[in-house]
Amino acid sequence: MIRRLSALVAWFELWLAAGLAVCVTALILLNIITRYFGAALFWVDELAIYTMVWMTFLGASAALHHRAAISITLVTDAVSKQVNRVLLKCVDVIVFGFALGMLWFCWRWFLPIDIAHAGFDAEAFQGATFNFIYAEPTTTLGVPKFLFWLVMWMFSFGITLHAAMHLFSRETSE
Amino acid sequence: MSAVVFLVALLLSVPVAVVLAVTAIWYIWQSGNTILFDSFALKMFSGLENYGLLSIPLFMLTGELMNEGGMTRRLVALARVFVGGFRGGLAYINLLANMFMAAIIGSATAQIAVMSRAMVPAMKDEGYDEGFAAATTAAGGLLAPVIPPSMMFVIFGVLAHVPIGDMFIAGIIPGLLLALSFAVVITLIGWSQQFPKGAWMSRGEALRAFLAAIPAMLVPVAIIGGILFGVATPTESAAVASLIAFLVGWLFYRDLGPRKLGEMFKRTAANASMILFMIAAASVFGWVVIYEELPQILAGLITTITSDPFMFLLIVNLALLLIGMIIDGIAAIILITPILLPIATGSYDISPYQFGIVACLNLVLGLLTPPVGIGLYIASSMTGTMPGTILKTLWPFLIAVALILVLLSYFPKISTYLI
Repeated sequence: MIRRLSALVAWFELWLAAGLAVCVTALILLNIITRYFGAALFWVDELAIYTMVWMTFLGASAALHHRAAISITLVTDAVSKQVNRVLLKCVDVIVFGFALGMLWFCWRWFLPIDIAHAGFDAEAFQGATFNFIYAEPTTTLGVPKFLFWLVMWMFSFGITLHAAMHLFSRETSE
Repeated sequence: MSAVVFLVALLLSVPVAVVLAVTAIWYIWQSGNTILFDSFALKMFSGLENYGLLSIPLFMLTGELMNEGGMTRRLVALARVFVGGFRGGLAYINLLANMFMAAIIGSATAQIAVMSRAMVPAMKDEGYDEGFAAATTAAGGLLAPVIPPSMMFVIFGVLAHVPIGDMFIAGIIPGLLLALSFAVVITLIGWSQQFPKGAWMSRGEALRAFLAAIPAMLVPVAIIGGILFGVATPTESAAVASLIAFLVGWLFYRDLGPRKLGEMFKRTAANASMILFMIAAASVFGWVVIYEELPQILAGLITTITSDPFMFLLIVNLALLLIGMIIDGIAAIILITPILLPIATGSYDISPYQFGIVACLNLVLGLLTPPVGIGLYIASSMTGTMPGTILKTLWPFLIAVALILVLLSYFPKISTYLI
């Protein structure tokens, strides 16, 4: 069940990341063309960067599902299969811990309960918490920056799901 | 204690990016500075807010487009026009084609994959030893991260706050020098074992090969020309290069179709996000480096040993050689740059360009050395040659790289002359 869900989410993350990679390319090309015609769009660079950041965190989450992330396999390659399986579980525990940590960091950063308490009023929220997350603007796009930061939630939930899958479900030989 | 967490996690084969983040978490927790947890996720996000990094997915995309073959074949044919007639012609063709490809592809592993498929079977057919064929191709791949464009230079430039375009330009002479040294190695090997004879093309064939390669040559011209003449940023030239590569592959050579693009973008996104995620994690790891004053402590140690920049670079070279054997080159450059670069520029007055080129070339060498030589395995799986067999003929190339590293360390001018 969790295995299927994790696979589905990873599939979705990867294709979304691919779509964002298309957008990055298109935005940079758009920038070149508009600049060539002397009508450069000032917001394109910033949007391209955020698009890349979204692509990165979605792709990185999917990579954890596929166990594709870059790692040092010097030791794990050298030991026997049984030992390797134990080591792999240790890795899963660490990654799962990291994932929970990320959720907690996002929580501390976005303070969802406090903003709800403040009636989703950024100013009242700031007054109560001295957290300026909901007031921070983007440089050129004219929208609040927290909208882009939301990808960190997606990333954190994604890796928690994938790490839980690896940790709690039985490894099938893929 | 943070160092123990770092090493244990790393050797357990925890993903490198997660190792960096977990070490940072541990460090913050034990130093009681837990206010930093509030901005942990923000720091990871902002570590990627850099215009130069945009070129990484774009250069990867260009690599993917080259992977589909059509252009590579034409560039090999073009190389044949120039050096095909010499004894051992195909070995020199391999090297020259690798230089062309290095001006398009920014990653050694991608280039080794493409070129192994394109060159090794052809060399075997003409009677070359298969180990030599694979070794020449694998060594040629080392040109990719030195001759612009280079993914490693992008990452180094971002971490070192050095203009990426200048970093690319700085790599040109060292790249040519490296190619020259490989040519010498091939010649020397040719003396001891008789290479098959080459054949010059007829004038008509040569002209046809030349014309067929012109659209493909647009890609390196766009990349290097754009950067050299300052008309485009590396990011823009990467986007233009991928567009040209696609249009040429689709409309001229007809090897590519829009239908294949989906999978290509998926692979691009997957591969680029792995590298970029490491950079994001490195920015939280940067807290550890800064608060623990790692560069200052290390600088204190090294300056008692030597005050000579050349000696310092030799020590760095030895250390990086060991690191590169274990850790993936890009992960390693992300790790060592914030620690070693301040020492190089601060205590020894070494140009960041020189340091970057030495460090990148050195770390990329690890791709071809056991125990974790990824480049070696790629060449092996693409050609069916055992890694051991490749390694047997590879060592003269590795020595050549080592000599070039010493040269680059001794003469800063080689790296800084063009800037």
